[in-house]
Amino acid sequence: MVLKIFFPQCCNRADSGLLVGRWIAGHDSAVVLAVIHYPFIPGQVKQYIQQMQAQSGVELSVLGSWSLPKEGQEGLESFLRDLSTIFPQERWLQISRQMGKTGFTCEVLSRDQTGGSARRSNEAEAKKESKDGGDGEEEAEEKVIFVHYEQRKVMLSQLHPIANENPENKSEPSTELREMFQTVAHSQPLFFLDKYDDGLLKSTHWQSEGREASIIVELMKQASVPLCIFISWLLSVWTWTCNIWIFSVFPLCFLSSILSTFIQLSYRTEHMRTLSSPKSAEGHTQFMRKANILVSVLVDVALGVFLMSWLYRDDHISMLADALVPAADHVAQQLEELLQWLMGAPAGLKMNRALDQVLGRFFLYHIHLWISYIHLMAPFIEGILWYGGLSACFGLTFALSLLSDMVALFTFHIYCFYVYGARLYCLKIYGLSSLWRLFRGKKWNVLRQRVDSCSYDLDQLFIGTLLLTILLFLLPTTALYYLVFTLLRLVIVLFQGILHLSVDFINSFPLFAAGLRVCRSYRLAEGVKFRVLCEEPGTALHLLMEINPLKFSSVVRTYRTPTYSCYPKDSWAALVKKLFIGELIYPWRHKTTKTD
Amino acid sequence: MGADGAPSQSVPWRKVLWERQPFPDNYVDQRFLEELRRNEGIREYRYWAVVKEASLVGQQLSCVAIFITFWLYMEQGLLAPETLLWTSLVCGLLGYGLYQAFTSQTDSCSETRTHLADLQSAALFLSFTFGFSPVLKTLTESVSTDTVYAMSAVMLLAHLVSFPYGEPSPPGSLSLNAALFASVCLASRLPGALHTFAMLSCALLVFALWPCLLQRLRENSPLQFTGVCVGVCTGGVGGLASQSLGGAVLLSLAVVSVTFLCPLLLVWLQRHKDNIHGPWDEAEICEDLSHFLH
Amino acid sequence: MGQRRRAGAVKTLSSERDSADVARICNRKHNICMVSDFFYPNMGGVESHIYQLSQCLIEKGHKVVIATHAYGRRRGVRYLTNGLKVYYLPLQVMYSQSTATTCVHSLPLLRCVFVREQITVVHAHSSFSSMAHDALFHAKTMGLNTVFTDHSLFGFADLSSVLTNKLLTITLCDTNHIVCVSYTSKENTVLRAVLNPEIVSVIPNAVDPTDFTPDPSQRPADRITIVVISRLVYRKGIDLLGGIIPELCLKHPDLHFLIGGEGPKRLVLEEVREKYQLHDRVRLLGALEHKDVRGVLVQGHIFLNTSLTEAFCMAIVEGASCGLQVVSTRVGGIPEVLPDDLITLCEPTVRSLCDGLEQVIAKQRSDSFPSPASIHNRVRNLYTWKNVAERTEKVYDKVVGEEVLPLAKRLRRLRSHCGPVAGSIFAFVAMLDFLFLLLLQWLLPDRFMDVAVDATGPHGLWRQKTSRKKFD
Repeated sequence: MVLKIFFPQCCNRADSGLLVGRWIAGHDSAVVLAVIHYPFIPGQVKQYIQQMQAQSGVELSVLGSWSLPKEGQEGLESFLRDLSTIFPQERWLQISRQMGKTGFTCEVLSRDQTGGSARRSNEAEAKKESKDGGDGEEEAEEKVIFVHYEQRKVMLSQLHPIANENPENKSEPSTELREMFQTVAHSQPLFFLDKYDDGLLKSTHWQSEGREASIIVELMKQASVPLCIFISWLLSVWTWTCNIWIFSVFPLCFLSSILSTFIQLSYRTEHMRTLSSPKSAEGHTQFMRKANILVSVLVDVALGVFLMSWLYRDDHISMLADALVPAADHVAQQLEELLQWLMGAPAGLKMNRALDQVLGRFFLYHIHLWISYIHLMAPFIEGILWYGGLSACFGLTFALSLLSDMVALFTFHIYCFYVYGARLYCLKIYGLSSLWRLFRGKKWNVLRQRVDSCSYDLDQLFIGTLLLTILLFLLPTTALYYLVFTLLRLVIVLFQGILHLSVDFINSFPLFAAGLRVCRSYRLAEGVKFRVLCEEPGTALHLLMEINPLKFSSVVRTYRTPTYSCYPKDSWAALVKKLFIGELIYPWRHKTTKTD
Repeated sequence: MGADGAPSQSVPWRKVLWERQPFPDNYVDQRFLEELRRNEGIREYRYWAVVKEASLVGQQLSCVAIFITFWLYMEQGLLAPETLLWTSLVCGLLGYGLYQAFTSQTDSCSETRTHLADLQSAALFLSFTFGFSPVLKTLTESVSTDTVYAMSAVMLLAHLVSFPYGEPSPPGSLSLNAALFASVCLASRLPGALHTFAMLSCALLVFALWPCLLQRLRENSPLQFTGVCVGVCTGGVGGLASQSLGGAVLLSLAVVSVTFLCPLLLVWLQRHKDNIHGPWDEAEICEDLSHFLH
Repeated sequence: MGQRRRAGAVKTLSSERDSADVARICNRKHNICMVSDFFYPNMGGVESHIYQLSQCLIEKGHKVVIATHAYGRRRGVRYLTNGLKVYYLPLQVMYSQSTATTCVHSLPLLRCVFVREQITVVHAHSSFSSMAHDALFHAKTMGLNTVFTDHSLFGFADLSSVLTNKLLTITLCDTNHIVCVSYTSKENTVLRAVLNPEIVSVIPNAVDPTDFTPDPSQRPADRITIVVISRLVYRKGIDLLGGIIPELCLKHPDLHFLIGGEGPKRLVLEEVREKYQLHDRVRLLGALEHKDVRGVLVQGHIFLNTSLTEAFCMAIVEGASCGLQVVSTRVGGIPEVLPDDLITLCEPTVRSLCDGLEQVIAKQRSDSFPSPASIHNRVRNLYTWKNVAERTEKVYDKVVGEEVLPLAKRLRRLRSHCGPVAGSIFAFVAMLDFLFLLLLQWLLPDRFMDVAVDATGPHGLWRQKTSRKKFD
């Protein structure tokens, strides 16, 4: 058996005293938390420990004694030994350090031995002899390892125990470690006892510095409560307005589920609700979530304000508005040229002339309609942009969502073309596949989901073949139109997808966690590593425990705020298949399907 | 013939497994393979009977040739579409009358199709074909002529291969569809919409209705059937000869080889047939079990 | 080459000694490798045959390993009951659990198995299994003696059987001994593979009688139940069954059908049931596990088998073993399986089967049949796996003494025996196979291959454990 003693680094040079800490049950290890210096009154120490135990919920106890004899302090041995009778324990650690040496020496006394010592206190000399022998024996069977840890880091790291986040990474052996982390974290009240205080007890442990800063934090905490209440009141008003029946009638409801601005709005509402809840965060996960949301909202708003300041300076808005209508005109003209090209013999392909003309004219008329609509809208565009730009004060995400919606609206004609082309193509493909079955004398059995043979009538065969021939010869024309408009549509979908991705990124990226990882890497611990401090033959093994920071990728994975994902849900193969058989690919559908 | 250690007992060997017999496992008895039978239920073909059956194939070949001849005439403007239409109409009516005559001759009650249904079908054919003929005309405009010809040739070949020669009465889906596809392709090459319409009506007569009539004819008067087959073959060869001599020679060669040489080969090869039967054969279900279901 | 020569030399030596001490040879233990595409987890007659035969041979002290192809994620080596070792080789499955065959590519794996396990006899099963054919071919290349068991009947008329028969002719042309499951199957195999009938033994299949005991108390008293247990496919005559059911159910209102099994023809039965409103009298149980079969059988009075072809019908033996009256079609090897008083044979037509069933039903009503227990006692000892193993053992004893043809003779035999075209082609393939073997032996000589630890056989390590278990 190996006895592990976790020893705080800050106590390395502490004056002699009592070791206060906790035995970790079942693991044969002890965590030293603080050293209480001489002189003290044992009753007070006991009282203090009980008080701390009640406050922190950790089973604190006196572990043993610590002696760092300074010059002129000698002969403490018997005194230290007697202490064990005052604080009866299963095992009593007696750790001492010589001034010149780096290593500690440790003696472990089990209870019956200490009891024996109590009984025979008068025969100190003789007992010392026997005890030494006994210790020798014990040391032979029970080795001691000192694990030095940095109390502050461990304490803070425990506040964000990443070990709890992904327990599958941490298997059985780490539970001891986790308990140790928890012990250190929970015994925070112990550390409030300041070594500069003129209390009855003096102790050494980690000391927090910078009381002033924490006062400011405290004040801010106090101030945030009414702010939170105010925000949550605003939110309740907002949600009440949203829930009025007029918004749940068909067109508005549909629109709000389609337009990304509305979706962003609902997400932001949810975020604000999380932030403004007056209860303090329970547990590390909750706290991190809140912090992440807060930081990303702040960053978002800051970026938005930056954008706004650029927009409203130097009259950028009107410049944009002036550029927009010619751009739409230009796009329309390009489309018209494309259609003209398609109506000829594009790329040397031989298309059915009549159908080609019909389709081309239909689409040309559509473009014409669209252009007149744009021109009708032209005087209002600047106003729309001006007011729309205001939304950037809510955050960059709003501005981006608005941009995405505007792109969707301005390219509505392309969407229409795509839908017409896809529907026509889809109809042809379905017609061809069923007529091809008829051609071979088969039919699709819906009930059994398979192809059965079937004897058709003469007239069915005749008309079927006639239609098959017609569809087959018209297919290339339709397919070409479909292909061209699908490509156009895909370009727009790609653009919108990039916008959505960036919005999603801002919404969900765990900025706070990432910042912690960069600045205070020990606070998100993934595990620990040990370094050998000194290994001298006579003394116990000394290890230094260092905290392994969490990997960056797992930081992102763990703390990512769950949002809708605008990534395509279909696999690439499924997407290609959908494109091939002419099924519509709604990029907006993905967001709405998330809700159900 | 006994295998190793055949016993000399007087116990006869029996072909049973449930009894332990005093013979080794690899014992071969006198009765080994006694249930073997050869060429059981083989059909003896007579040459002329086979020729008569095979004439249907030659006839179908000639039908395709006749259709192609009509198309050639139409394409060259030697045949006015109106003429073809009227001829088709007359032929169709004549054929319908004959068909009805044969039907009433055999039995009238089994036939469930009414005249009204026939009329409906005819109206459907005509209206659809007429309505679609302008569309059909522009259909293959931009496709090159060679492609159209190749496609038609492949489809006509598919028609000939997949034609149900055993029982042509309900024309097989694939064969009829292939023929119709080919005729649509060919018809779309003609100069006018009316040409297309006439050509398609002609195709309907030749590929869809004529086999039905022929089947009736074969059932009712086998003698006339042979005569009709000979007539169609001559007509096909003659018609093709008026357009291309080489084609006619090829066609006549094909018809002769299919109707006379192939049966000869079959009858000759039949003598070399050696089929083994025995108790191991998979039993065939000879009865018609579908009546239990329908 | 060297290996084959060595094997030949050993063979001639042993054949010289053969006559000297027959008794010693009879006690010789073999290292047997069963090869087939069909093995557990696939279920069927061939699979259980291989398993049961292997178990009985292990009991007799032989070493048995099984080689089959990988089933899904089940690949590598597995041990079954009593240390039966199964190699699931990673070969590509082509069609209905049969592997693709090129006659060459499976050589490295099979050679590895044969050499590692020190195989003396290769026993291939089922002519549907291309892995079995491959194994026979490679075993001959490697100079091993081979046995083949044919489980099925084939016709001669259609194209697929012509091709399969040719393949069989080629692989069996230098196989030492062939085992068939019935006399009809023997005649069939001899004709198909153009064999000398004296190297074909008839060893019937067997049924474990303790699994199929009668229990008349399970039979409902107020009705007569006809049990059918078979895969619902065309070859099992399910179309005939679809004709019999309405015919008989209309005549006998107390007649019930209990049908176990699954397959594409289930539709036929469902349609019949629907059309004649027989939902309460015709029960379709779906696929049955082997352990459930007895529970279904004992509920019936009559066992009906409508197969159109059958080499040896295990199902009717199982039915009779459970004390049922058996009615079956007279096809294949079925007439050889049961004595006439235990089975009613009919022609494979609806009419004949109905007549046969009606006779049996009438007798059943008049109670003129012997009791199920007496039927069971008669059937119990007809077909046992112990008997099968003993007879198979004799085949092995005989085969081991035989000489393996050297390459030149083998090529000559292939060409003379299998026709000029196929014979020449496969003589070429045999030569390729041989060259491939030489290459493999050059790459990794046999003496460097690890010899596997025996689980079964004379030096089997499993045996001690099981024997200890027996004493407990």
